[in-house]
Amino acid sequence: MILGEVKVLVVEDVEAMRVQIKSLLRTFGLPKVTLCDSFRKAAVALDEAEFNLILCDWHLEGVNNGMDLLHHVRSVDKLKPIGFIMVTAEGTREMVIEAVKAGVDDYLLKPLTTAQIQDKVYGVLLRKKVL
Amino acid sequence: MAETIKEFVEELSGFAETAEKTLAKIESDLLGERALFKVFSERMLAIRGTALQLELPEIAKIAGLGEEIAVKAETAETRAQLRKCVGALWDALTTVKYLLQNHEEQTSEEREILIRRLEATLEAMGGARPVISMEELSELLGRRN
Repeated sequence: MILGEVKVLVVEDVEAMRVQIKSLLRTFGLPKVTLCDSFRKAAVALDEAEFNLILCDWHLEGVNNGMDLLHHVRSVDKLKPIGFIMVTAEGTREMVIEAVKAGVDDYLLKPLTTAQIQDKVYGVLLRKKVL
Repeated sequence: MAETIKEFVEELSGFAETAEKTLAKIESDLLGERALFKVFSERMLAIRGTALQLELPEIAKIAGLGEEIAVKAETAETRAQLRKCVGALWDALTTVKYLLQNHEEQTSEEREILIRRLEATLEAMGGARPVISMEELSELLGRRN
């Protein structure tokens, strides 16, 4: 698949962050980006369309958080292959280890830089053989 | 860029309002509403993450201290500890709100004193939770991959 065809789902509860992540992804050739602010909306989006990569914040609007979405993705057969990067300011060792154990593909700590996000996104897409 | 910062700050101010209502509710029933410290700490985390992204380090620092103190408050053993945490959280929140409205203002001695006081409160409650380093994270992920 060529880079421009990669479909990315960004799940983040802060609107300004969502917009910024989308803009960062566009700058390095990923225009197909869908934005959601909650677990519920993300689950609907995943049900209705195909994605190659999810960038998800740990804390989301509503009862369910990013870890719940990670568990959901890893428990549904058709979603299992999707790359999952946690994008968060949550750097507590215990919680990061929990995410790694649950099957996160990579972890981005805020503040995000273009180089950092590019490196992690390409890394996961290559490991998942999307590119 | 200035417009982006303005939008960010407006959104963060909304989070601060939520945190304020939560803290007022906790204060009305320290033991009964202590589970709400989680809501407070999550709002502080959201403010910290976005402030880091915006390169507003002082807001990020104070929100981070508020986040950690709120986490400790969830399991505080005595009413005195709870009261101390709530007092510290009001100070942190009031300052975050002020700084959101005046984010171009330089660091003041008064705020440095507040930061030291919040750090002392956190230390007295057992200190912040350990964070992971990028090296440790890479090693963890590398081992799994």
